[in-house]
Amino acid sequence: MASVQTHTTAPAATAAKAWEPRIIGFLCYWCSYTGADMAGTARMKYPANVDIIKFMCSGRMDPELIMQAYAKGADAVMVLGCHIGDCHYMVGNHKTMARMPLIRRVLGDLGIEPERFRHEWVSAAEGAKFAELVAEVTEQVRKLGPLNWPQKMHDSGVGHGMDLKPWGEV
Amino acid sequence: MTKNGASTGGGNGNGDASDVRIGVFICHCGGNISDVVDVKRVAEEIGKLPNVVLSATHMFMCSDPAQVMIEEKIKELSLNRIVVAACSPSLHELTFRRCLTRAGLNPYLFEHVNVREQVSWVVEDREAATRKAKRLISAAVGRVRHLQPLEKRKISIRPAALVIGGGVAGMLAARDIARRGMDVTLLEKSPFLGGRTAQLGELFPTGDDARELLAGLIKDVASDPRITIHTNAEVVDSSGFIGDFKTTVRLNPRGVTAELAKAAAAIEACPEQSDNEFDYALSKRRALYMPYAGAYPAYPAIDWASCTKCGKCVTAAGGKGINLEEQPREVTVQSGVIVMATGFNPYEARRGEYGWGLYPNVITLGQLNRLLDKEGPSAGKLSVNGREIRSIGFIHCVGSRQWAGQHEPQPDGKVNDYCSRVCCTATLQAAKEVKERWPKVHVFDFYQDIRAYGHGHEEYYTETAEKGVLFFRYNHATPPSVERDSRNKSGLVVKCKDTLTLGMEIEAPVDLVVLATGMMPRDIAGLVDLYRCARGVDRFLLEVHPKLRPVELAVSGVFLAGTEQGPMDVTEATAAAGAAASKAAALMSQGFIELDPFIAEVEEKLCTGCKSCLKVCPYDAITRDEEKNVAVVNTALCMGCGTCVAACPSGAIKQFGFGDDMVLSELDALLEGYAVVSR
Repeated sequence: MASVQTHTTAPAATAAKAWEPRIIGFLCYWCSYTGADMAGTARMKYPANVDIIKFMCSGRMDPELIMQAYAKGADAVMVLGCHIGDCHYMVGNHKTMARMPLIRRVLGDLGIEPERFRHEWVSAAEGAKFAELVAEVTEQVRKLGPLNWPQKMHDSGVGHGMDLKPWGEV
Repeated sequence: MTKNGASTGGGNGNGDASDVRIGVFICHCGGNISDVVDVKRVAEEIGKLPNVVLSATHMFMCSDPAQVMIEEKIKELSLNRIVVAACSPSLHELTFRRCLTRAGLNPYLFEHVNVREQVSWVVEDREAATRKAKRLISAAVGRVRHLQPLEKRKISIRPAALVIGGGVAGMLAARDIARRGMDVTLLEKSPFLGGRTAQLGELFPTGDDARELLAGLIKDVASDPRITIHTNAEVVDSSGFIGDFKTTVRLNPRGVTAELAKAAAAIEACPEQSDNEFDYALSKRRALYMPYAGAYPAYPAIDWASCTKCGKCVTAAGGKGINLEEQPREVTVQSGVIVMATGFNPYEARRGEYGWGLYPNVITLGQLNRLLDKEGPSAGKLSVNGREIRSIGFIHCVGSRQWAGQHEPQPDGKVNDYCSRVCCTATLQAAKEVKERWPKVHVFDFYQDIRAYGHGHEEYYTETAEKGVLFFRYNHATPPSVERDSRNKSGLVVKCKDTLTLGMEIEAPVDLVVLATGMMPRDIAGLVDLYRCARGVDRFLLEVHPKLRPVELAVSGVFLAGTEQGPMDVTEATAAAGAAASKAAALMSQGFIELDPFIAEVEEKLCTGCKSCLKVCPYDAITRDEEKNVAVVNTALCMGCGTCVAACPSGAIKQFGFGDDMVLSELDALLEGYAVVSR
């Protein structure tokens, strides 16, 4: 059992007011999502701050969607896929990996702290790794405080009108 | 796209259709969920979301009564999108999709939310868990608004199989498939069927004679009119996909036909001598050769590497049956499925490893098996270089269970850290046979662990021990050493730190050292590339799932039979071959297969023909229509990873079931009201 500490447990009365980091986790179905299931099956406890959106493959991870998560208010984003060599689609995760430096660079240019983005490989057996990652990233973001990128975009005018439509509706 | 009657016609994909009627069903899972998540409160709050017509809970949503309830509600309330919040989709997604089908609703108008494995079992705080469950369910509610009815893809399957590899596993697979009434093409790269099994003598645990067993199988495959056998056959190219593979096979010249009447005289006339691979180089053979009596096809072949085309065999044969100028030719094999049975190679010991290559009386277990064979190079006598053997030392785990840093890695930089499994019992069997045939020969066995794991294997251990084989156990960090014995001119000594006697230094003088070398997959890089086979870190081919989908390769329609997948004995290899044959035949008798509909589709008017998607597709499933200058997805090849969707710079590709619109709705719901902009 992983000794993952729970940070989200505040008494119900105060929880309504206390700030809690909101993190979006994009997970591939075959490895990382199954790894997250594994953490559950083993009853590992970890913070409730990461909400999972699943894809069939992390290769589907369009950088646009990561930016959208920040634009819609997420404090951090995690992208988890199969280990290199384990991809259900052979090399889908190679493409994911190739895109990540771009993401980091764009986030840097936008002034978003590197701790607010995490890309890792989590296999279907690595429930403990998943739970530890969630705890670690949640803790890092908790220290940084809220990002509130929508407010920043509004204040700077950069994102004015950046109510991005899904591709194809341009 | 299908419409399933008026009730499911809703939803034009823009997410705000007023005719979207969502039913949400939240499971208590007998307390597994509801002890932590306040499901009543969640159901109440979710019920207030737009388009949600019903939000209900049930003690066990996967139970028959609950499924009947869902079916009834779909009909009663004309629901056209269903969300179930319960356990992991890996457990019951299919259960609920079927439930939708029974109710007359397209099964893909469904979303499964995981509130057990990913919420109630991992979050301690009830409030946090309840909020998280609510967020995830509202995300699903947002998502299902965009879902479209999807149909599984149906692909017809040609009732013919291609089996690559003519060893025991390949032949058995071919025989089993043909017996079910399908045509089979059996390819063997070498000139003869039989593979590695032909080189063995007695097979454990049944005591069968290997070549007798093969003879029966060879008779079966050779006499079956449904089986076409090509020896000297190499796969050079492949196209197509499950249901319709087209494989280009190069038939290398054998140089000999069945017309050759005076085979013995022709072989005798050949002046060339080279190492006989069938005896692991313990004997020599001619350039025109038969590996063993009873080999199939029953006429010799020419080894072009050593043949000088001197023509003496042609003269001896009376000019009939030998063609030294035969050219290779190519054939195309069309098949619905492919069974790979490419087998293994024994680990090649390094020069100096336990005296290998330094002393002629250090041999491998494969070589000992040839010596024990009564038709082998020593005619069954236990002698090496004419010298009678009076004592033998067996060393286990040569080339298996290696340690990085201690052992020299293979070309890929990795050591063979896996256990070869088979060598323990194979060694014990050889030791037992030696003791039975030559009771006076002393046998010493140096091992790390005896892993006689199989049915009837342990008996070999007890019997060899009873017959007086002495066992010494070494630790991998202090392996035995093999040295020249100064007291015995041509003999060797095995020195070992025996952990069974608390580290006592043992010296065993022996005439022969036998290395139990492990199994490695054959070099099949060409096939791995052609069929995009998944390989494990140990370089063996990888099945999709060892328990749920054994002997299936991730590439649909390709099955694995035998030792290409990992070390196996003949029993296990034929079991795998039988399984592969069953699965292949079942697929072919069905006549078609259904594939998930989550494939990619190109919207031509947005596509600029830039080919970005072509480069990232792991399956070469996308081509460019040069006339229209747009990308085209081959729906049979597309596996639905969505990598092309992310790569497309103009947003022209979408993936069914995983559209950007769906993801954005999920994000909206998950983050709703979180970051408030003050203007």
